[in-house]
Amino acid sequence: MTTAPAEVERPESDEVVVPDTPWTTVVWNDPVNLMSYVTYVFQSYFGYARGKAEKLMLDVHEKGKAIVSSGSREAMERDVEAMHGYGLWATMQKAGDRG
Amino acid sequence: MTAAFHQVEAELLRSLVGQLLELVRGEPAQRDPRQAGDPLAAAFGLGDDPTRPTDPVVLRLFPDAYRDDDESAAEFRRFTERGLREAKADAAAAVLASLAAVGPVEPDDPLDSGGEKVRLHLDADEAQAWLRTLTDLRLALGTRLGVEEGDEEHWQALPDDDPRRHIHDVYDWLGWVQETLVRALSAGLD
Repeated sequence: MTTAPAEVERPESDEVVVPDTPWTTVVWNDPVNLMSYVTYVFQSYFGYARGKAEKLMLDVHEKGKAIVSSGSREAMERDVEAMHGYGLWATMQKAGDRG
Repeated sequence: MTAAFHQVEAELLRSLVGQLLELVRGEPAQRDPRQAGDPLAAAFGLGDDPTRPTDPVVLRLFPDAYRDDDESAAEFRRFTERGLREAKADAAAAVLASLAAVGPVEPDDPLDSGGEKVRLHLDADEAQAWLRTLTDLRLALGTRLGVEEGDEEHWQALPDDDPRRHIHDVYDWLGWVQETLVRALSAGLD
């Protein structure tokens, strides 16, 4: 049994809402996924043109990783979750962090 | 789109996808049997919190979302792993359903090069389920085998009676099937 919450006086505040720190989604190279499939995922999920998708795929393949999207933390959580759904190895980090 | 498989290939796929289904459905229920069956808790994402998998195959299917932040990785897992497991299980189940609905290949079919074959018709949703399930199967087999980039010669050099060689042949074949499917789907994107 519980009562309705009492109305709480909100403390006045000059707090400025800081915009979300930009975050990034990073896809890492793995020895299993097909290059064609990774390109397909970048095209169909992010809506990237084939050229951009292929460039990102090659970065993943040759450099070991690539930043595939950036935005708010919530948006990157969605992207990382989607990448895991596709079976790609993805992590998220604050923009500028070295993985 | 249409695909044709030998009977023995369709049987192999059924068996592998069935095992994948068990794998992705299996673990959370075993972790905390007290709460596993509580649909209300499940609806609110409560109940058996998934912990970091110890099996490398399961960890590859549900990887950490943060590299250097265990707390955030655990929280991400708490909010996503259940849904990801359900999505992967649904895809695997859809593949099994399409394999159950196969018809025989007509004798005059150009795809039929002799031997008993079955043919499948996949709509767009089914093709996506196949794509994801083939990926998950290859991730599972590849992780279990310890596949590395450019290691084809290693597998070819194994003796014929080494079971790992047979599994690697299956892994290769799944890659070929997937490549064919990706090509067909990619053609529709441009």
